[in-house]
Amino acid sequence: MTLIRKIALGSIVPAVLLAIWWAMSLQSSVVPSIGSVVEVLMNPSVAPADLDTTSITAGAQISILRVVLGFGLAGITGIVAGFLIGLSRTSREIFAPAMSVAMAISPIAWLPVSIIVFGLATPASVLFGDEAWRYNTLDQLSFAVVAVIWYGAFFPVALNTAAGVRGVRRAHMETVRVLGAGRMQMLTKVILPASMPAIFTGLRLGGGIAWRVIVAAEIFPGTRSGLGYMISASHEIGEYRYAFAAIIVIGAIGLVLDGGFRLLAWRVGHWQAKER
Amino acid sequence: METHQTATKSVLQFRDAGKRFCTPARPDLWAVRDLSLDCPAGKITCIVGPSGCGKTTLLRLAAGLDDATTGQVVLNGATVSGPSQGVGLVSQEGGLLPWMSVEQNVALGLSIAGRSRADRRARAARALGRVHLPPEVSKSFPHELSGGMRRRAALARVLCSEAPVLLMDEPFGGLDEHTRRKLQTQLVELWTEDRPTILFITHSIEEAVMLADRVVVMGFATKTAEIEIDLTHPRDPLSPDSLDCQLKIRELLQQTRQPQSL
Ligand SMILES: Nc1ncnc2c1ncn2[C@@H]1O[C@H](COP(=O)(O)OP(=O)(O)OP(=O)(O)O)[C@@H](O)[C@H]1O
Ligand SMILES: [Mg+2]
Repeated sequence: MTLIRKIALGSIVPAVLLAIWWAMSLQSSVVPSIGSVVEVLMNPSVAPADLDTTSITAGAQISILRVVLGFGLAGITGIVAGFLIGLSRTSREIFAPAMSVAMAISPIAWLPVSIIVFGLATPASVLFGDEAWRYNTLDQLSFAVVAVIWYGAFFPVALNTAAGVRGVRRAHMETVRVLGAGRMQMLTKVILPASMPAIFTGLRLGGGIAWRVIVAAEIFPGTRSGLGYMISASHEIGEYRYAFAAIIVIGAIGLVLDGGFRLLAWRVGHWQAKER
Repeated sequence: METHQTATKSVLQFRDAGKRFCTPARPDLWAVRDLSLDCPAGKITCIVGPSGCGKTTLLRLAAGLDDATTGQVVLNGATVSGPSQGVGLVSQEGGLLPWMSVEQNVALGLSIAGRSRADRRARAARALGRVHLPPEVSKSFPHELSGGMRRRAALARVLCSEAPVLLMDEPFGGLDEHTRRKLQTQLVELWTEDRPTILFITHSIEEAVMLADRVVVMGFATKTAEIEIDLTHPRDPLSPDSLDCQLKIRELLQQTRQPQSL
């Protein structure tokens, strides 16, 4: 009963949106029909013949790869930086104000700067030089875009980790100190597990930002692949069914990403909500 | 009696120990002041005193979690300057780590000491049995236990470390009379088996008389009296001798409170 209720109530908004979409597609030549978008979605691995872009699957693949790279780097550097500023007051006083300012700036704002700094360099061009074009996938992961994703995800990860580390209860530290733990064991037995929930909150936030940033970065001129590029390319020639399909896929991947992190966060942090 | 006392070896000694806290609100607060105290080997020493008189502070000095501002705390002949091996602590809050299962919590000292997994499990299971916790709870998390079970788990942890000196800060505080009595009896049983030196803090006079070989009465920041309790275990809190001791301690406590009330 509750499941039926959940599904029924949850589908009201999508149903209304679909109805509006349908009504508008009858009126406008720009808004694609639901059927045409579904058709694109049903054949995700077919590259559109009328569009200078790859298929939905290939685009999603490259977008995901870019995010995995940028977000992976942000996760690692962010957790390390978070521990540093969480544990050392001096480094916190040095870095925290600058980080708060940096976090307020949209990562996309840095894209032009990033392109100037990194140029068109990609892992392929660094590794293989003139032969780079042979390694298509690697050649699509331009450092300029990866750096912008890193920028978007780094600060939430670092600041949340730092907050988690700082929030470790003294009583818990003392518990292991009395049992003979040294500095390293305080880290592994208390600080790390105690800040896990905060770290995962940071990762979830950072992951969400990274996914939003990649689409925006791909719409920006200079990139010629990915779901974002598909949107801008279909805009160029007014074939909006590809843009709509890409948007739906972006939403779906974002949902899966967030759900995955929620699940992980629950696994490492379920004790926290129930703590008395 | 007097001569017997000087003959017993003292494991833990406070020598004119003092602890001052400086906070903006109270810049010169002596939580413990010039306090001297002996905890004889293999005996239970109970400290009773009103809330805020410095009991926890005193215990933290012994645990090496705080440094004495004046004087010193001596453990087995050496001045305490940090947490020492062979000293187990049950803190006022119990100190179970919420992200670890009961078993992991109980065996925490062993895992810090680098003992093997099999060893840890076996010893944790034994310790849980000794405090009468059913084996099923070993996989539970602290928040899934009742207050009394959590106290038992905390007790199991110090038992697991086999420390010869146990510092216990109101380990049975906030429990109902029945559970409390049961835990007291169990503690005495455990103590009879291993004979650790115990420094036990409580603000219950009855509990002190149930457990202690020696009761130390504290007023604010200082020791005001020491009473030897020479009753055999198991003790009955309602026996005439026991009531006698309780009355004596109550009087001492009331006397000490007056000068502080200004
Ligand atoms: N870290 C601290 N900083 C400042 N003051 C403190 C600190 N710890 C304790 N005090 C003060 O020292 C005094 C003694 O505190 P303590 O915790 O030792 O009392 P207690 O006897 O254990 O009380 P209770 O029975 O309520 O647990 C109190 O006035 C308290 O405010
Ligand atoms: Mg206390």
